[in-house]
Amino acid sequence: MTGRLAFSRTVTDAGVPLETALDGELTGYAVFEPQQTILLDSTDRLTVWFDGGVPTHARHSDGRAGGAALASLAAVAPYRVELRESDPSPPADAAVAPDAPADHLAGDTGLAERTREAAPDDADDAGGLDAVEAFLADEDAIEDIQARAREEAEQRADEWGF
Amino acid sequence: MVEVFAVASGKGGTGKTTSTLALGMALADRYDVTVVDADTGMANLLFHAGLSDADTTLHDLLGDERGVVADATYERFGMRVVPCGTDLGGFRDADPARLRDVVATLAADTDVLLLDSPATLASRSAVLPVVLADRVVLVTQATVPALSDALKVQEYAASYDTGVAGVLFNRVRDEDGVDDVVAQSERYFEGPILGRIPEDDAARAARRAGEPLLAHAPTSPAADAYRAAAADLDVRAGDAAVAAVADRFRRAVVPDDPISGGGASENR
Repeated sequence: MTGRLAFSRTVTDAGVPLETALDGELTGYAVFEPQQTILLDSTDRLTVWFDGGVPTHARHSDGRAGGAALASLAAVAPYRVELRESDPSPPADAAVAPDAPADHLAGDTGLAERTREAAPDDADDAGGLDAVEAFLADEDAIEDIQARAREEAEQRADEWGF
Repeated sequence: MVEVFAVASGKGGTGKTTSTLALGMALADRYDVTVVDADTGMANLLFHAGLSDADTTLHDLLGDERGVVADATYERFGMRVVPCGTDLGGFRDADPARLRDVVATLAADTDVLLLDSPATLASRSAVLPVVLADRVVLVTQATVPALSDALKVQEYAASYDTGVAGVLFNRVRDEDGVDDVVAQSERYFEGPILGRIPEDDAARAARRAGEPLLAHAPTSPAADAYRAAAADLDVRAGDAAVAAVADRFRRAVVPDDPISGGGASENR
């Protein structure tokens, strides 16, 4: 990876690096690696590019690009995140709406609003719901989320005396 | 008979409290409605309902000096409202298991009981409203984390034999684009999609004014959408012996001493 390292932390809230990029008007990119995949020595990673703190493009190592790439990180926190300042050279076919990472990685409506306000007037805001459509199309991933929640609920029912 | 709904989302920022009061006001045209702020750690319903100066709140009913439920019940906007305090001491002293008794008392005298539930699944007190309710109303947004969390709440509810009354897509900005998302999501939810509530500055203005949206901006697009959603909610309230209703909640879950594990298997 190239560029000056501006942020390197493990976070459960993707809003933290996104807000850092926005407030620092970062031009460069962020790499999100789910901790579970680091432990498994996998190469599962999402890259988000920024221009002046505003997200412009995203691509996941699974091949998904643009808004759909953001769905690949659903319910897999914590992540290791690095932000780097560099000349942006995003893949042209991977554009995202400026607020899509705040909405679909962080679920932070306020941050999404601030990001929209900071975005240039000519920013491409199409495809803002691509991530959620990709998420809902992935039945296996949703079944995983449901199965984990069921297991957690049953375990806690015992712990909590429900 | 009363029907108890937990209005839940699993995450913050979805507009749960706005939704709870809006559904409550809309349903109050047809039913006797009571709304309870069951988010004992992050209470905010009092600010939405003009009750920030309330002397007695749910905290007083859950603490050691158990208050009288009627003293924490306020007639507002055509409903009965039980706010919760925001004092950390009140939260620390509150015994969440006592919520069961409060629900039992309120249930004896209302048709629809709405529990504004915490925005997390991480603690016993946060999950308790979902356990006590007959059904949940899931408040979500057209975002990946909000839908993911709503699906989790649905699984928790199913584990405690609590049904799903329906799903509200709230704070919708792209009203045309959301159609596909709603259609795709239907197959994953056990209840119907009750409505799509547009993002509306009126909701923020209502909160600042300390009034529920339907009182502050009754003709706003969001208020219209909430009324339509409430009309689609098939409330299963009817006539049943008051004593039987109260008994149902008093026997439901939550042993007095969960640490000992005694009675923990008495699930509904």
